[in-house]
Amino acid sequence: MIAPVAQALDVERTYRMQGVPIHALRGVTLDVGAGEFLALVGPSGSGKSTLLHLLGGVDKPDVGRVMAGGTDLSSLNDQKLTRHRLEHVGLVFQRFHLLPMLTATENVEIPLAEIGLRRAERRQRSRELLERVGLGDRMKHRPGELSGGQRQRVAIARALANRPSLLLADEPTGELDRETSKGILELFESLAGSGTAIVVATHDLKLAAAAGRQLKMVDGRLNGLELS
Amino acid sequence: MILRTAVRELRAHPGRTAFAIAGVAVASAMLLDMLMLAGGLQSSFRGLLSGAGFELRVSPAGTLPLDTDATLLDAIALADDIRNEPGVAAVSPVLALNIRLEGTSTPTADAGDPIVFALGVDPDAQGLYRIVDGRDLEAPSEVLVDERSTSGVGDTLRLTSVRTFGSAAAASAELIVVGTAEFLYSSASDVPVALDIEALRELASRPAEASFFMLDAEPGTDPDDLAQRLRARIPTVEIVSIREIVRRAEQRLSYFQQLAFILGSVSLVVTALLVGTIMAVSINDRYGIIAALRAIGVSRRSIVVTLLVETLALVTVAGGIGLVLGSLTARYLERILSDFPGLPAAIRFFVLEPRQLWLAIAALVAVGVAAALIPAYRASTLPIATTLHREEP
Repeated sequence: MIAPVAQALDVERTYRMQGVPIHALRGVTLDVGAGEFLALVGPSGSGKSTLLHLLGGVDKPDVGRVMAGGTDLSSLNDQKLTRHRLEHVGLVFQRFHLLPMLTATENVEIPLAEIGLRRAERRQRSRELLERVGLGDRMKHRPGELSGGQRQRVAIARALANRPSLLLADEPTGELDRETSKGILELFESLAGSGTAIVVATHDLKLAAAAGRQLKMVDGRLNGLELS
Repeated sequence: MILRTAVRELRAHPGRTAFAIAGVAVASAMLLDMLMLAGGLQSSFRGLLSGAGFELRVSPAGTLPLDTDATLLDAIALADDIRNEPGVAAVSPVLALNIRLEGTSTPTADAGDPIVFALGVDPDAQGLYRIVDGRDLEAPSEVLVDERSTSGVGDTLRLTSVRTFGSAAAASAELIVVGTAEFLYSSASDVPVALDIEALRELASRPAEASFFMLDAEPGTDPDDLAQRLRARIPTVEIVSIREIVRRAEQRLSYFQQLAFILGSVSLVVTALLVGTIMAVSINDRYGIIAALRAIGVSRRSIVVTLLVETLALVTVAGGIGLVLGSLTARYLERILSDFPGLPAAIRFFVLEPRQLWLAIAALVAVGVAAALIPAYRASTLPIATTLHREEP
């Protein structure tokens, strides 16, 4: 049996907001397999983003374990966890979080530079990625010169730069129109088809319906309800 | 990549960057001026005294050369006595007096007041002037004029002694100008002349007097030791080495250093506050993007290095402008201070030495980077998930 790309085992996570404990996750268990396209749906504050952060090693659970490739992410120090995210995880945010003063190519180069690739190699790979997300003619444009959908494509290209096994997208179509969202959905389907595990937290039912598996989160729990 | 990102970030906020650069440039200009002032006067004073090559001075008891009108009365015998001291290479007597100058042209700046400073020297051993045009003195009938004088080589000047209470009747002599010279110790308003000391003694009816001696020590002789030996043997006169004069001057001028130290420190504090504030504001604006960069795998070290390079770029540009601004300010202030009455024109208040320049650059960079270190470190240790929760809708 192939080990899951990411695995949450009975995880719990509680935040404190002005001294009041907020139970973001309560005993969540989840496996994500290679090439799987999984959608997490649920109302705001249900714990979708928190679960994505735990799966990606951005945050650590208070209780339970998050495993990636047989490694317990909680056991890694900050340096190793950062390296894990760099090499194995791609993250896409609702607000893109691109550096506004860099071009599309340069934004995609950031994780490649961090991993230590030479400039020529970085440049070549970032161009390939931008071609792949359909932005071959927008490489020298800065985020301010791109539409919302184009910016999100740059963010996806950046997330794919180091060929991650797991792509996590938090409301990737939240600020996009229907037509642009459709383009992003097709891109995810194509990526899942090439073996990348994708977990999307979304309110967009169309996007969720296109995923291979849909899970609903309510009040920090996965109820396992299949939407499709 | 890091440098490119840092420079573009600065260019992306032109108003904020220009404000920061202007502030740091003014502070660094002040820092440079204070460093130049701290050592400038002493260094130029030291250079002026030691440049002529005579390492000791002998003057009337309780005075320094040209401090007062007092003279060494039995100067010829005293000079012979000092010449016999082991370690003394040369003794150069100097008689300095005010004298009235008349002739076809007058070398004074003010034609209505032709009283000038006359230096009687031994042309074979003197350290008071450098010939600029013509030649040095060879006969008692010759005179040298200041290079700024309106007289030139070949002119004839009439020198008349100035009568003082109890002195003999005024005497005159006609001398031929054989050269023009740069007088090392003259002030901006003085236009002195030099003539053979014997000729001046005769003109002023002061047959054996000298205002002071300049002494040269033999190679290998420590000037301080020589001064001490001479002082022990001839306690009736003041004998000091150039080193000692410089030491005394440094004590007198120490308030310049204190002032420079305080104002230099203030400029560094201003730099630190300015850079720290600008970087803190700039970094606070970017918490969301920094958290996202950390989330995609950018290390804490890369975040800190990028922010520090940004600071370094800011401080480098501002520092460069500040150094130019500081040099121009120093030149302007120097022009004002050089008009100070009685101060040798060769004295400089602001002297730029490579050591001070490097010190200013190092202090500026160190303070700037240190000021940015705290906000940069804070940004790199942000709780990623919490910050992203806050930033995302």
